[in-house]
Amino acid sequence: MPLIDVQSLHLTVPTGHIIQKTKTILHDISFSVKQGTSTAYLGTNGSGKTSTFRILCGLVKPNAGQVIFDGEVMRQGLPPKRFGFMPEHPYFYKNLTPRELLTSLGKLSGLPSKGLKQTIEMWSEKLDFTQVLGQRLSTCSKGQAQRVGLAQALIHQPDFILLDEPLSGLDPIGRACVRSVIQDEVKRGATLLFSSHILSDAEAMCDQVVVLQEGAIRYAGDIHSLLSHDTTWLIQAQGKPLWGQQAGQHTGIEISQSLDGIWQIRGANQEVRNTWLQNILSSESTTLVSVQAEQQTLESAFLNLLKLKGDHDASHS
Amino acid sequence: MRAILEIAKLSFADAIRNKVAYGVFTFLLLLLATASALASVTMGRTELMIMDLGLGGISILGNLMAIILTIQSLQQERESRTLYVLITRLQGRWKYLVGKFLGLAAVLSIQIIMMCLILSGCIAIFGHIFWLSFVQACISTLFEIYIVIAIALLFAQSSSLFLAILLTLAVDIAGRFTFVIQQLGEQSDSTLVQTFTQGMYYLLPNLEAINLRNQAGYVANIPWHELISMMTYSISEIVFILLIAAFIFGRKNLA
Repeated sequence: MPLIDVQSLHLTVPTGHIIQKTKTILHDISFSVKQGTSTAYLGTNGSGKTSTFRILCGLVKPNAGQVIFDGEVMRQGLPPKRFGFMPEHPYFYKNLTPRELLTSLGKLSGLPSKGLKQTIEMWSEKLDFTQVLGQRLSTCSKGQAQRVGLAQALIHQPDFILLDEPLSGLDPIGRACVRSVIQDEVKRGATLLFSSHILSDAEAMCDQVVVLQEGAIRYAGDIHSLLSHDTTWLIQAQGKPLWGQQAGQHTGIEISQSLDGIWQIRGANQEVRNTWLQNILSSESTTLVSVQAEQQTLESAFLNLLKLKGDHDASHS
Repeated sequence: MRAILEIAKLSFADAIRNKVAYGVFTFLLLLLATASALASVTMGRTELMIMDLGLGGISILGNLMAIILTIQSLQQERESRTLYVLITRLQGRWKYLVGKFLGLAAVLSIQIIMMCLILSGCIAIFGHIFWLSFVQACISTLFEIYIVIAIALLFAQSSSLFLAILLTLAVDIAGRFTFVIQQLGEQSDSTLVQTFTQGMYYLLPNLEAINLRNQAGYVANIPWHELISMMTYSISEIVFILLIAAFIFGRKNLA
Protein backbone atom coordinates (compact mmCIF):
# COMPACT_ATOMS: atom_id res chain seq x y z
CA MET A 1 0.00 0.00 0.00
CA PRO A 2 1.43 3.43 -0.88
CA LEU A 3 2.01 5.95 1.90
CA ILE A 4 0.62 8.75 -0.23
CA ASP A 5 -1.96 8.26 -2.92
CA VAL A 6 -2.83 11.37 -4.90
CA GLN A 7 -6.05 10.83 -6.85
CA SER A 8 -7.31 12.97 -9.73
CA LEU A 9 -6.33 16.37 -8.37
CA HIS A 10 -7.76 19.26 -10.29
CA LEU A 11 -7.00 22.86 -9.45
CA THR A 12 -8.04 26.09 -11.10
CA VAL A 13 -7.24 29.61 -9.97
CA PRO A 14 -9.12 32.80 -10.75
CA THR A 15 -7.35 35.26 -13.00
CA GLY A 16 -8.29 38.69 -14.20
CA HIS A 17 -9.80 41.55 -12.25
CA ILE A 18 -13.10 42.81 -13.55
CA ILE A 19 -14.04 39.86 -15.75
CA GLN A 20 -13.25 36.71 -13.81
CA LYS A 21 -11.53 33.97 -15.76
CA THR A 22 -9.99 30.78 -14.49
CA LYS A 23 -6.71 29.11 -15.27
CA THR A 24 -6.15 25.39 -14.84
CA ILE A 25 -3.07 24.75 -12.71
CA LEU A 26 -3.46 20.99 -12.19
CA HIS A 27 -5.35 18.70 -14.49
CA ASP A 28 -6.29 15.23 -13.21
CA ILE A 29 -3.06 14.59 -11.30
CA SER A 30 -2.70 11.05 -9.96
CA PHE A 31 0.39 9.38 -8.56
CA SER A 32 1.42 7.43 -5.51
CA VAL A 33 4.47 7.40 -3.28
CA LYS A 34 5.50 4.10 -1.71
CA GLN A 35 6.75 3.92 1.85
CA GLY A 36 10.52 4.29 2.22
CA THR A 37 11.08 5.56 -1.32
CA SER A 38 12.50 8.80 -2.59
CA THR A 39 10.46 10.46 -5.33
CA ALA A 40 11.54 13.41 -7.45
CA TYR A 41 8.66 15.62 -8.53
CA LEU A 42 9.91 17.33 -11.67
CA GLY A 43 8.56 19.83 -14.10
CA THR A 44 9.21 23.11 -15.82
CA ASN A 45 8.45 26.45 -14.18
CA GLY A 46 4.73 26.86 -13.72
CA SER A 47 3.99 23.20 -14.29
CA GLY A 48 2.19 22.90 -10.94
CA LYS A 49 4.79 21.38 -8.59
CA THR A 50 4.42 23.91 -5.79
CA SER A 51 0.63 23.87 -6.17
CA THR A 52 0.60 20.09 -5.68
CA PHE A 53 2.76 20.47 -2.56
CA ARG A 54 0.46 23.14 -1.18
CA ILE A 55 -2.52 20.84 -1.67
CA LEU A 56 -0.68 18.04 0.15
CA CYS A 57 0.03 20.44 3.02
CA GLY A 58 -3.60 21.52 3.21
CA LEU A 59 -2.76 25.12 2.32
CA VAL A 60 -4.82 25.02 -0.86
CA LYS A 61 -8.02 23.09 -1.48
CA PRO A 62 -8.30 21.38 -4.87
CA ASN A 63 -11.43 21.75 -7.01
CA ALA A 64 -11.58 17.98 -7.34
CA GLY A 65 -9.65 14.93 -6.26
CA GLN A 66 -8.26 13.73 -2.97
CA VAL A 67 -5.11 12.82 -1.11
CA ILE A 68 -4.95 9.54 0.79
CA PHE A 69 -2.25 9.28 3.45
CA ASP A 70 -1.57 5.87 4.98
CA GLY A 71 -5.04 4.68 3.97
CA GLU A 72 -6.94 7.73 5.24
CA VAL A 73 -8.45 10.50 3.15
CA MET A 74 -6.91 13.83 4.16
CA ARG A 75 -9.33 16.74 4.35
CA GLN A 76 -7.10 19.31 6.13
CA GLY A 77 -3.63 18.38 4.85
CA LEU A 78 -1.27 15.71 6.10
CA PRO A 79 -1.06 14.83 9.82
CA PRO A 80 1.32 17.46 11.32
CA LYS A 81 3.39 15.15 13.50
CA ARG A 82 4.00 12.62 10.73
CA PHE A 83 5.31 14.91 8.05
CA GLY A 84 7.88 17.65 7.60
CA PHE A 85 7.56 20.38 5.01
CA MET A 86 10.11 22.78 3.62
CA PRO A 87 8.71 25.50 1.36
CA GLU A 88 10.65 26.98 -1.54
CA HIS A 89 13.07 29.79 -0.53
CA PRO A 90 12.15 30.05 3.13
CA TYR A 91 13.58 32.99 5.05
CA PHE A 92 11.39 33.01 8.16
CA TYR A 93 11.32 35.66 10.93
CA LYS A 94 14.15 38.10 10.32
CA ASN A 95 14.23 39.21 13.96
CA LEU A 96 14.64 35.70 15.40
CA THR A 97 17.70 33.48 15.59
CA PRO A 98 17.71 29.97 14.05
CA ARG A 99 17.92 28.56 17.60
CA GLU A 100 14.76 30.43 18.70
CA LEU A 101 12.91 29.47 15.54
CA LEU A 102 13.86 25.79 15.72
CA THR A 103 13.01 25.64 19.44
CA SER A 104 9.48 26.91 18.80
CA LEU A 105 8.93 24.82 15.68
CA GLY A 106 10.30 21.74 17.45
CA LYS A 107 7.83 22.25 20.28
CA LEU A 108 5.02 22.82 17.78
CA SER A 109 5.92 19.47 16.24
CA GLY A 110 5.47 17.84 19.62
CA LEU A 111 9.11 17.48 20.70
CA PRO A 112 9.65 17.66 24.48
CA SER A 113 11.54 20.69 25.83
CA LYS A 114 14.07 18.39 27.46
CA GLY A 115 16.75 17.49 24.98
CA LEU A 116 15.52 19.95 22.34
CA LYS A 117 18.67 22.08 22.66
CA GLN A 118 20.84 19.05 21.88
CA THR A 119 18.58 18.09 18.96
CA ILE A 120 18.92 21.58 17.46
CA GLU A 121 22.70 21.51 17.88
CA MET A 122 22.82 18.07 16.26
CA TRP A 123 20.90 19.30 13.20
CA SER A 124 22.94 22.50 12.97
CA GLU A 125 26.12 20.41 12.93
CA LYS A 126 24.70 18.00 10.36
CA LEU A 127 23.61 20.83 8.09
CA ASP A 128 26.58 23.04 8.88
CA PHE A 129 24.98 26.21 10.23
CA THR A 130 26.27 26.06 13.83
CA GLN A 131 28.11 29.38 13.35
CA VAL A 132 24.82 31.27 12.76
CA LEU A 133 22.70 29.47 15.34
CA GLY A 134 22.67 32.50 17.64
CA GLN A 135 22.54 35.18 14.94
CA ARG A 136 19.43 36.88 13.64
CA LEU A 137 17.98 35.21 10.55
CA SER A 138 18.20 38.56 8.74
CA THR A 139 21.99 38.21 8.84
CA CYS A 140 21.97 34.66 7.41
CA SER A 141 22.81 34.07 3.75
CA LYS A 142 20.30 32.47 1.38
CA GLY A 143 22.10 29.14 1.67
CA GLN A 144 22.15 29.27 5.48
CA ALA A 145 18.43 30.10 5.57
CA GLN A 146 17.87 27.15 3.23
CA ARG A 147 19.68 24.82 5.67
CA VAL A 148 17.64 26.18 8.60
CA GLY A 149 14.55 25.53 6.47
CA LEU A 150 15.58 21.93 5.98
CA ALA A 151 16.39 21.50 9.67
CA GLN A 152 12.89 22.63 10.69
CA ALA A 153 11.37 20.06 8.31
CA LEU A 154 13.48 17.21 9.68
CA ILE A 155 13.79 18.14 13.37
CA HIS A 156 10.95 15.86 14.51
CA GLN A 157 12.10 12.98 12.28
CA PRO A 158 8.84 12.64 10.35
CA ASP A 159 7.69 9.57 8.37
CA PHE A 160 7.05 11.67 5.29
CA ILE A 161 9.26 14.53 4.10
CA LEU A 162 8.04 17.04 1.55
CA LEU A 163 10.73 19.38 0.20
CA ASP A 164 10.14 22.12 -2.35
CA GLU A 165 13.44 22.89 -4.08
CA PRO A 166 15.71 21.84 -1.19
CA LEU A 167 18.89 22.36 -3.21
CA SER A 168 18.29 25.80 -4.66
CA GLY A 169 20.55 28.62 -3.50
CA LEU A 170 23.25 26.27 -2.24
CA ASP A 171 26.89 26.13 -3.29
CA PRO A 172 28.32 22.74 -4.45
CA ILE A 173 29.52 21.88 -0.91
CA GLY A 174 26.17 22.86 0.52
CA ARG A 175 24.36 20.75 -2.07
CA ALA A 176 26.49 17.73 -1.24
CA CYS A 177 25.85 18.25 2.48
CA VAL A 178 22.08 18.63 2.07
CA ARG A 179 21.94 15.69 -0.33
CA SER A 180 23.75 13.48 2.15
CA VAL A 181 21.44 14.50 5.02
CA ILE A 182 18.34 13.82 2.90
CA GLN A 183 19.71 10.44 1.81
CA ASP A 184 20.37 9.56 5.46
CA GLU A 185 16.74 10.32 6.25
CA VAL A 186 15.58 7.96 3.49
CA LYS A 187 17.94 5.28 4.85
CA ARG A 188 16.32 5.82 8.27
CA GLY A 189 13.04 4.78 6.64
CA ALA A 190 11.45 8.12 5.87
CA THR A 191 9.51 8.59 2.64
CA LEU A 192 10.67 11.53 0.56
CA LEU A 193 8.92 13.61 -2.08
CA PHE A 194 10.88 16.56 -3.41
CA SER A 195 10.99 18.95 -6.33
CA SER A 196 14.18 20.19 -7.92
CA HIS A 197 15.43 21.91 -11.04
CA ILE A 198 18.92 20.51 -10.44
CA LEU A 199 18.33 17.20 -12.20
CA SER A 200 21.78 15.73 -11.60
CA ASP A 201 21.15 15.98 -7.86
CA ALA A 202 17.63 14.70 -8.24
CA GLU A 203 18.96 11.68 -10.13
CA ALA A 204 21.39 10.90 -7.32
CA MET A 205 18.69 11.19 -4.68
CA CYS A 206 15.60 9.52 -6.10
CA ASP A 207 14.40 6.08 -7.06
CA GLN A 208 11.00 7.20 -8.35
CA VAL A 209 10.17 10.05 -10.70
CA VAL A 210 7.01 12.00 -11.43
CA VAL A 211 7.25 14.41 -14.38
CA LEU A 212 4.73 17.17 -14.72
CA GLN A 213 4.08 19.38 -17.74
CA GLU A 214 1.52 22.16 -17.87
CA GLY A 215 -0.38 20.70 -14.95
CA ALA A 216 -0.58 17.14 -16.27
CA ILE A 217 1.48 14.05 -15.47
CA ARG A 218 3.85 13.02 -18.27
CA TYR A 219 5.58 10.18 -16.43
CA ALA A 220 5.22 8.51 -13.06
CA GLY A 221 7.30 5.51 -12.14
CA ASP A 222 10.70 4.01 -11.55
CA ILE A 223 13.71 6.14 -12.55
CA HIS A 224 15.52 3.14 -14.08
CA SER A 225 12.56 2.39 -16.33
CA LEU A 226 12.56 5.99 -17.48
CA LEU A 227 16.28 5.98 -18.23
CA SER A 228 16.39 2.56 -19.93
CA HIS A 229 13.21 3.31 -21.86
CA ASP A 230 14.86 6.38 -23.25
CA THR A 231 18.28 4.89 -24.01
CA THR A 232 19.69 6.46 -27.17
CA TRP A 233 22.27 5.28 -29.67
CA LEU A 234 25.10 7.15 -31.30
CA ILE A 235 26.71 6.32 -34.65
CA GLN A 236 29.94 8.06 -35.57
CA ALA A 237 31.04 8.04 -39.18
CA GLN A 238 33.59 9.73 -41.43
CA GLY A 239 33.57 10.66 -45.11
CA LYS A 240 31.08 11.96 -47.63
CA PRO A 241 27.74 12.64 -46.03
CA LEU A 242 25.13 10.32 -47.53
CA TRP A 243 22.44 11.20 -45.09
CA GLY A 244 21.67 14.73 -46.19
CA GLN A 245 18.44 13.63 -47.76
CA GLN A 246 17.67 10.85 -45.29
CA ALA A 247 17.95 13.00 -42.19
CA GLY A 248 14.79 14.84 -42.96
CA GLN A 249 12.86 11.60 -43.41
CA HIS A 250 13.25 10.49 -39.80
CA THR A 251 11.92 12.39 -36.89
CA GLY A 252 13.87 12.03 -33.67
CA ILE A 253 17.25 11.79 -35.47
CA GLU A 254 19.92 14.37 -34.83
CA ILE A 255 22.92 14.80 -37.06
CA SER A 256 25.87 16.96 -36.23
CA GLN A 257 29.51 17.23 -37.25
CA SER A 258 32.35 17.62 -34.77
CA LEU A 259 35.33 19.89 -35.34
CA ASP A 260 37.51 16.95 -36.46
CA GLY A 261 35.01 16.18 -39.22
CA ILE A 262 33.35 13.13 -37.66
CA TRP A 263 29.63 12.92 -38.21
CA GLN A 264 27.44 12.01 -35.25
CA ILE A 265 24.01 10.51 -35.77
CA ARG A 266 21.95 10.18 -32.63
CA GLY A 267 18.52 8.59 -32.17
CA ALA A 268 16.35 6.39 -29.98
CA ASN A 269 14.58 4.03 -32.42
CA GLN A 270 16.54 0.74 -32.75
CA GLU A 271 15.13 -0.15 -36.21
CA VAL A 272 16.21 3.21 -37.55
CA ARG A 273 19.67 2.61 -36.10
CA ASN A 274 19.95 -0.69 -38.04
CA THR A 275 18.91 0.96 -41.30
CA TRP A 276 21.51 3.66 -40.79
CA LEU A 277 24.20 1.11 -40.04
CA GLN A 278 23.39 -0.88 -43.19
CA ASN A 279 23.56 2.27 -45.33
CA ILE A 280 26.89 3.36 -43.89
CA LEU A 281 28.45 -0.10 -44.17
CA SER A 282 27.32 -0.54 -47.75
CA SER A 283 28.61 2.88 -48.78
CA GLU A 284 32.11 3.10 -50.22
CA SER A 285 32.54 6.79 -49.48
CA THR A 286 31.66 6.56 -45.81
CA THR A 287 33.52 4.80 -42.99
CA LEU A 288 31.95 3.68 -39.74
CA VAL A 289 33.91 4.97 -36.74
CA SER A 290 31.84 3.67 -33.83
CA VAL A 291 28.41 2.60 -32.65
CA GLN A 292 27.46 2.97 -29.03
CA ALA A 293 24.50 3.07 -26.69
CA GLU A 294 24.33 6.27 -24.69
CA GLN A 295 23.32 6.03 -21.04
CA GLN A 296 20.62 8.60 -20.52
CA THR A 297 20.83 11.07 -17.69
CA LEU A 298 17.71 12.17 -15.90
CA GLU A 299 18.16 15.56 -17.52
CA SER A 300 18.19 14.19 -21.07
CA ALA A 301 15.31 11.82 -20.31
CA PHE A 302 13.38 14.72 -18.81
CA LEU A 303 14.01 16.89 -21.84
CA ASN A 304 13.11 14.07 -24.22
CA LEU A 305 9.94 13.50 -22.32
CA LEU A 306 8.95 17.12 -22.57
CA LYS A 307 10.01 17.26 -26.24
CA LEU A 308 12.53 19.94 -25.52
CA LYS A 309 15.68 18.05 -26.33
CA GLY A 310 16.12 19.57 -29.74
CA ASP A 311 15.99 23.08 -28.34
CA HIS A 312 18.32 22.11 -25.54
CA ASP A 313 20.97 20.65 -27.89
CA ALA A 314 20.68 23.58 -30.25
CA SER A 315 21.33 25.98 -27.42
CA HIS A 316 24.38 23.93 -26.35
CA SER A 317 25.90 23.75 -29.79
CA MET B 1 -3.06 25.04 24.16
CA ARG B 2 0.68 24.41 23.86
CA ALA B 3 0.53 25.15 20.13
CA ILE B 4 -1.31 28.45 20.71
CA LEU B 5 1.26 29.51 23.32
CA GLU B 6 4.15 28.64 21.00
CA ILE B 7 2.65 30.75 18.20
CA ALA B 8 2.11 33.55 20.74
CA LYS B 9 5.74 33.30 21.88
CA LEU B 10 7.02 33.42 18.29
CA SER B 11 4.84 36.42 17.44
CA PHE B 12 5.88 38.17 20.64
CA ALA B 13 9.60 37.56 20.08
CA ASP B 14 9.40 38.85 16.50
CA ALA B 15 7.19 41.89 17.19
CA ILE B 16 9.04 43.06 20.32
CA ARG B 17 12.16 43.48 18.17
CA ASN B 18 10.33 45.36 15.45
CA LYS B 19 11.76 48.85 14.97
CA VAL B 20 8.28 50.31 14.45
CA ALA B 21 7.59 49.65 18.12
CA TYR B 22 10.54 51.78 19.24
CA GLY B 23 9.95 54.63 16.81
CA VAL B 24 6.65 55.50 18.46
CA PHE B 25 8.32 56.13 21.80
CA THR B 26 10.11 59.06 20.20
CA PHE B 27 6.74 60.43 19.11
CA LEU B 28 5.36 59.96 22.61
CA LEU B 29 8.27 61.83 24.18
CA LEU B 30 7.77 64.65 21.66
CA LEU B 31 4.06 64.70 22.47
CA LEU B 32 4.70 64.87 26.20
CA ALA B 33 7.26 67.63 25.72
CA THR B 34 4.70 69.62 23.70
CA ALA B 35 1.97 68.96 26.26
CA SER B 36 4.28 70.10 29.07
CA ALA B 37 5.23 73.25 27.20
CA LEU B 38 1.56 74.05 26.53
CA ALA B 39 0.60 73.29 30.08
CA SER B 40 3.26 75.60 31.50
CA VAL B 41 1.69 78.58 29.74
CA THR B 42 -1.90 77.58 30.63
CA MET B 43 -3.82 78.74 33.68
CA GLY B 44 -5.48 76.04 35.71
CA ARG B 45 -4.96 72.32 36.31
CA THR B 46 -1.74 71.67 34.43
CA GLU B 47 -1.54 67.98 35.39
CA LEU B 48 -5.07 67.29 34.07
CA MET B 49 -4.23 68.86 30.74
CA ILE B 50 -1.09 66.74 30.42
CA MET B 51 -3.08 63.64 31.36
CA ASP B 52 -5.77 64.45 28.80
CA LEU B 53 -3.30 65.08 25.98
CA GLY B 54 -1.05 62.18 27.00
CA LEU B 55 -3.83 59.59 27.18
CA GLY B 56 -5.18 60.76 23.83
CA GLY B 57 -1.70 60.48 22.33
CA ILE B 58 -1.18 56.99 23.75
CA SER B 59 -4.51 55.89 22.31
CA ILE B 60 -3.68 57.22 18.82
CA LEU B 61 -0.15 55.79 18.84
CA GLY B 62 -1.39 52.49 20.30
CA ASN B 63 -4.02 52.18 17.58
CA LEU B 64 -1.49 52.90 14.84
CA MET B 65 1.02 50.45 16.32
CA ALA B 66 -1.63 47.76 16.63
CA ILE B 67 -2.65 48.18 12.99
CA ILE B 68 0.87 48.35 11.57
CA LEU B 69 2.42 45.60 13.71
CA THR B 70 -0.46 43.17 13.17
CA ILE B 71 -0.84 43.63 9.44
CA GLN B 72 2.91 43.78 8.82
CA SER B 73 3.49 40.66 10.91
CA LEU B 74 0.89 38.58 9.06
CA GLN B 75 1.95 39.79 5.62
CA GLN B 76 5.64 39.15 6.36
CA GLU B 77 4.88 35.66 7.62
CA ARG B 78 3.12 34.93 4.37
CA GLU B 79 5.88 36.39 2.20
CA SER B 80 8.66 34.63 4.13
CA ARG B 81 6.66 31.36 4.00
CA THR B 82 6.85 31.09 7.79
CA LEU B 83 3.06 30.91 7.72
CA TYR B 84 3.23 27.64 5.77
CA VAL B 85 5.54 25.86 8.20
CA LEU B 86 3.41 27.05 11.13
CA ILE B 87 0.04 26.11 9.62
CA THR B 88 1.24 22.64 8.60
CA ARG B 89 2.18 22.01 12.24
CA LEU B 90 -1.27 22.89 13.60
CA GLN B 91 -4.50 20.94 13.89
CA GLY B 92 -6.81 23.82 12.99
CA ARG B 93 -5.80 27.15 11.52
CA TRP B 94 -7.74 29.05 14.22
CA LYS B 95 -4.95 28.25 16.67
CA TYR B 96 -2.59 30.34 14.56
CA LEU B 97 -4.89 33.39 14.75
CA VAL B 98 -5.47 33.04 18.49
CA GLY B 99 -1.73 32.60 19.12
CA LYS B 100 -0.98 35.59 16.93
CA PHE B 101 -3.54 37.68 18.79
CA LEU B 102 -2.11 36.75 22.20
CA GLY B 103 1.49 37.41 21.11
CA LEU B 104 0.71 40.82 19.64
CA ALA B 105 -1.56 41.74 22.56
CA ALA B 106 1.32 40.95 24.94
CA VAL B 107 3.77 43.13 22.97
CA LEU B 108 1.35 46.05 22.77
CA SER B 109 0.37 45.68 26.44
CA ILE B 110 4.00 46.12 27.45
CA GLN B 111 4.36 49.15 25.22
CA ILE B 112 1.11 50.78 26.36
CA ILE B 113 1.98 50.16 30.02
CA MET B 114 5.44 51.67 29.49
CA MET B 115 3.94 54.72 27.79
CA CYS B 116 1.42 55.11 30.64
CA LEU B 117 4.24 54.92 33.19
CA ILE B 118 6.16 57.66 31.34
CA LEU B 119 2.99 59.75 31.26
CA SER B 120 2.35 59.24 34.97
CA GLY B 121 5.90 60.45 35.67
CA CYS B 122 5.24 63.55 33.58
CA ILE B 123 1.96 64.28 35.39
CA ALA B 124 3.63 63.81 38.78
CA ILE B 125 6.18 66.52 37.88
CA PHE B 126 3.41 69.11 37.41
CA GLY B 127 1.03 68.14 40.21
CA HIS B 128 -1.01 65.48 41.91
CA ILE B 129 -1.88 62.31 40.00
CA PHE B 130 -5.35 60.83 40.44
CA TRP B 131 -4.31 57.20 40.25
CA LEU B 132 -7.68 55.48 40.19
CA SER B 133 -9.15 57.36 37.22
CA PHE B 134 -5.77 57.28 35.47
CA VAL B 135 -5.42 53.49 35.84
CA GLN B 136 -9.02 52.99 34.69
CA ALA B 137 -8.33 55.08 31.59
CA CYS B 138 -5.17 53.07 30.89
CA ILE B 139 -7.09 49.77 31.20
CA SER B 140 -9.76 51.02 28.80
CA THR B 141 -7.02 52.02 26.31
CA LEU B 142 -5.54 48.52 26.57
CA PHE B 143 -8.88 46.88 25.75
CA GLU B 144 -9.43 49.31 22.88
CA ILE B 145 -6.06 48.22 21.47
CA TYR B 146 -6.95 44.53 21.84
CA ILE B 147 -10.11 45.08 19.77
CA VAL B 148 -8.08 46.90 17.11
CA ILE B 149 -5.61 43.96 16.96
CA ALA B 150 -8.54 41.59 16.36
CA ILE B 151 -9.90 43.85 13.59
CA ALA B 152 -6.44 44.07 12.01
CA LEU B 153 -6.14 40.25 12.11
CA LEU B 154 -9.44 40.00 10.27
CA PHE B 155 -8.39 42.36 7.47
CA ALA B 156 -4.71 41.35 7.36
CA GLN B 157 -5.84 38.24 5.48
CA SER B 158 -6.37 40.43 2.45
CA SER B 159 -3.57 40.01 -0.08
CA SER B 160 -3.08 43.78 -0.27
CA LEU B 161 -1.25 45.57 2.54
CA PHE B 162 -2.83 48.89 1.59
CA LEU B 163 -6.35 47.46 1.56
CA ALA B 164 -5.79 45.74 4.92
CA ILE B 165 -4.63 48.99 6.56
CA LEU B 166 -7.43 51.01 4.93
CA LEU B 167 -10.20 48.62 6.03
CA THR B 168 -8.87 48.35 9.57
CA LEU B 169 -8.59 52.12 9.87
CA ALA B 170 -12.12 52.51 8.48
CA VAL B 171 -13.62 50.15 11.06
CA ASP B 172 -11.46 51.68 13.81
CA ILE B 173 -12.71 55.18 13.03
CA ALA B 174 -16.32 54.12 12.37
CA GLY B 175 -16.26 52.24 15.69
CA ARG B 176 -15.89 55.60 17.46
CA PHE B 177 -19.05 56.96 15.82
CA THR B 178 -21.50 54.07 16.11
CA PHE B 179 -23.83 56.17 18.27
CA VAL B 180 -23.80 58.96 15.67
CA ILE B 181 -24.49 56.41 12.90
CA GLN B 182 -27.50 55.10 14.84
CA GLN B 183 -28.84 58.61 15.46
CA LEU B 184 -28.47 59.48 11.78
CA GLY B 185 -30.54 56.42 10.90
CA GLU B 186 -33.27 57.34 13.39
CA GLN B 187 -33.59 60.77 11.81
CA SER B 188 -34.06 59.27 8.36
CA ASP B 189 -37.49 58.45 6.93
CA SER B 190 -36.16 55.64 4.81
CA THR B 191 -36.59 52.15 6.29
CA LEU B 192 -33.63 50.97 4.26
CA VAL B 193 -31.34 53.60 5.77
CA GLN B 194 -32.69 52.84 9.24
CA THR B 195 -32.07 49.11 8.80
CA PHE B 196 -28.59 49.76 7.42
CA THR B 197 -27.53 52.13 10.21
CA GLN B 198 -29.04 49.83 12.83
CA GLY B 199 -27.09 46.92 11.32
CA MET B 200 -23.89 48.96 11.35
CA TYR B 201 -24.52 49.95 14.95
CA TYR B 202 -24.68 46.33 16.05
CA LEU B 203 -21.98 45.05 13.70
CA LEU B 204 -19.27 47.62 14.38
CA PRO B 205 -17.38 47.46 17.67
CA ASN B 206 -18.43 50.37 19.86
CA LEU B 207 -15.01 51.76 20.71
CA GLU B 208 -16.44 54.90 22.29
CA ALA B 209 -18.32 52.80 24.86
CA ILE B 210 -15.02 51.58 26.28
CA ASN B 211 -13.33 54.97 26.25
CA LEU B 212 -12.74 56.11 29.84
CA ARG B 213 -10.22 58.82 29.02
CA ASN B 214 -12.78 61.65 29.23
CA GLN B 215 -13.81 60.58 32.74
CA ALA B 216 -10.14 60.54 33.74
CA GLY B 217 -9.86 64.14 32.52
CA TYR B 218 -12.65 65.12 34.94
CA VAL B 219 -11.13 62.99 37.71
CA ALA B 220 -14.32 60.95 37.72
CA ASN B 221 -13.83 57.43 39.01
CA ILE B 222 -15.84 54.74 37.29
CA PRO B 223 -17.51 52.16 39.56
CA TRP B 224 -15.68 48.83 39.27
CA HIS B 225 -18.79 46.96 38.08
CA GLU B 226 -18.95 49.32 35.09
CA LEU B 227 -15.30 48.71 34.39
CA ILE B 228 -15.90 44.96 34.51
CA SER B 229 -18.87 45.23 32.13
CA MET B 230 -16.69 47.32 29.79
CA MET B 231 -14.06 44.56 29.88
CA THR B 232 -16.69 41.87 29.30
CA TYR B 233 -18.03 43.77 26.30
CA SER B 234 -14.48 44.11 24.90
CA ILE B 235 -13.74 40.41 25.32
CA SER B 236 -17.05 39.50 23.64
CA GLU B 237 -16.18 41.79 20.71
CA ILE B 238 -12.71 40.25 20.42
CA VAL B 239 -14.12 36.71 20.45
CA PHE B 240 -16.75 37.68 17.86
CA ILE B 241 -14.20 39.29 15.51
CA LEU B 242 -11.72 36.43 15.94
CA LEU B 243 -14.47 33.91 15.17
CA ILE B 244 -15.20 35.67 11.88
CA ALA B 245 -11.45 35.91 11.14
CA ALA B 246 -10.94 32.21 11.91
CA PHE B 247 -13.93 31.25 9.75
CA ILE B 248 -12.50 33.13 6.76
CA PHE B 249 -8.90 32.04 7.42
CA GLY B 250 -9.94 28.38 7.72
CA ARG B 251 -11.39 28.44 4.22
CA LYS B 252 -8.80 30.60 2.54
CA ASN B 253 -6.39 29.18 -0.03
CA LEU B 254 -2.92 30.17 1.11
CA ALA B 255 -1.26 30.38 -2.26
